Amino acid sequence: MAKLERLLNLTATLLHTERPLTVEEIQHRVPGYPESWNSFRRTFERDKDELRAMDLPLLLERVPGTLPPKDGYRIRPRDYYLTDPGLEPDELAALHLAIQMVSFDQPQGDHDALWSLGGALESNADPVVPGLVSLTTPAQLSQLFGAVSDRRTVGFDYRGEPRSIDPYRIGYRRGNWYVTGHDHLRGEERQFRLDRIGGELDVGDPGSFTRPEALIAEHRRPWEFGDGEQVTARLSVDRDQAAWAAAHLGDDAVVERREDGGIVVELDVVNLDAFRTFVLGFLDHAEILEPEALRRDLIDWLEAVAR
Amino acid sequence: MSRVTSTDRVIRLLSIIPWIAAHDGPTVDEICERFDISRNRLLKDLEIIPFVGVYPRTPDALIELVTEDDRVWVRYTPVFERPLRIAPVPALTLVARGQSLLSVPGADTEGPLARGLEKLAATLDLAATDAVDVRLELVPEATLDQLRAAVGDHHQVEIDYYSYNRDRRSRRTVDPHRVYSEGGQWYVSGHCHQAGDIRLFRIDRIQELKVLESMFAQPADAGPNPVFEPRPEHGRVTLDLKPRAHWVVEQYPTESVESRPGEVLRATLAVSAQGWLERLLVRLGDDVQLVSADAGAGGPDIGRMAARRILARYGA
Repeated sequence: MAKLERLLNLTATLLHTERPLTVEEIQHRVPGYPESWNSFRRTFERDKDELRAMDLPLLLERVPGTLPPKDGYRIRPRDYYLTDPGLEPDELAALHLAIQMVSFDQPQGDHDALWSLGGALESNADPVVPGLVSLTTPAQLSQLFGAVSDRRTVGFDYRGEPRSIDPYRIGYRRGNWYVTGHDHLRGEERQFRLDRIGGELDVGDPGSFTRPEALIAEHRRPWEFGDGEQVTARLSVDRDQAAWAAAHLGDDAVVERREDGGIVVELDVVNLDAFRTFVLGFLDHAEILEPEALRRDLIDWLEAVAR
Repeated sequence: MSRVTSTDRVIRLLSIIPWIAAHDGPTVDEICERFDISRNRLLKDLEIIPFVGVYPRTPDALIELVTEDDRVWVRYTPVFERPLRIAPVPALTLVARGQSLLSVPGADTEGPLARGLEKLAATLDLAATDAVDVRLELVPEATLDQLRAAVGDHHQVEIDYYSYNRDRRSRRTVDPHRVYSEGGQWYVSGHCHQAGDIRLFRIDRIQELKVLESMFAQPADAGPNPVFEPRPEHGRVTLDLKPRAHWVVEQYPTESVESRPGEVLRATLAVSAQGWLERLLVRLGDDVQLVSADAGAGGPDIGRMAARRILARYGA
């Protein structure tokens, strides 16, 4: 109880002040701190950690007019207060529903996001199906959400190679999370699969890049990425796999429907390895028809496996 | 709700105080419902409020809270007159949740949810669809709707199903217990009459669906979702994985993994369906060496034979 009261008073004091407060001032102005300097410092350090854990925008700044210079703390109102998004009641109820129906396989801290918006009342309008959708949660997901929002450059190890990117967007496709951004190593926009990022993220300062006006809108398929030249491949897929292939590649890709139920699809291929992996998923129920170079590549690959 | 920490309580109160201040004496019950808090806890927390304020803690520097006839007013407050902003991470996490629902076939992509997500992202100076792009795999809307209705009405279904792992097609009668999406894919779980057991079916691999007139009794507890668990009767394979194939041990359940010279991982895995192992071997090519495979896993030549079968299509 005493701690709750102290944390609320600390937040109020730091938010209300017009200049940074030194630790001595904080001890004096916020009720509930021990009088002994050492135990005050320990308690204050813990409180500070708690405020940061709550994502409160605590700033450490030089206190004006101090000699020798001293640092002090404050929370700027413009960093703290909510810009009211102006949600209509049905919109708020829909967000509430999303929290109930979509789960992550690791707990995420957005359950209380709606509290700032005035909480939510149970809605009877839509049927709630708890756990209709569950999403995987790679370790770096939260950090990357933060990096996208605050425009922080991130560094990481990707398949044994150090990379540094300006993250623009987080995507989820076929059960995998991706981050899309400007890759400093390659000098162009790239996608990275989160589950292939090794180790810790090295997160830079906020505002370290400018988001481009127009992002590449479409999520590309693995074989559409890379440094190679683009070729158009024709692939025939047998009857039993045809419906699945058409659904996944899109009806636009289907250029021929055969009487036996099979289909022919046309795909733009840049990355040969990724395309081969996709084609081999069909085992012997699909065949690359054109171009000859891709047929040859697959045959050579399989002959090596067959030996 | 799990253990409530003092930080949870602080965050919640930072929302409750301005909300009460902006409303004319809401009831205790309404506050409890909105902020998902018990009556006892709320009343206890509210007792603290009159002691919260700023320096120099004169009456005009403290929050004035009045409770009367089960209604609550915040008459005056020097701070917290508006709620705390939603931090970027929870806001985008919520956008991700919402977008996954918008990608459910048949969802209203211009309805309240879509509008709410855009407004939420706008508080971060972002366009929701620019910053987060979550899509579940597509399945035919009609199939999904029929299955969800069959679950609700307890109707049996007959499906023509292509098992990817077994690389085989079959007709099955199923009592559908649950329809859900996990890891981007859509599944229906239920009692399969051919298998005589609970089975999991991927909805995108259902070639044909018929809802039957016959009904089934919903089990009291549909049980956890069936997941792959290695069993003694499954085949076993041992593979040497080069660095580029190390992801295999992350992705699939292994029974043992040992490090070998030359950055090679030697892993033993259970094989419930040979199609799965065939795909793995032909895809990995040089990055994998098959050390041993028992008969249940398809034998030591399984990869070579699969490669030859595919080559036969190419006349090679």
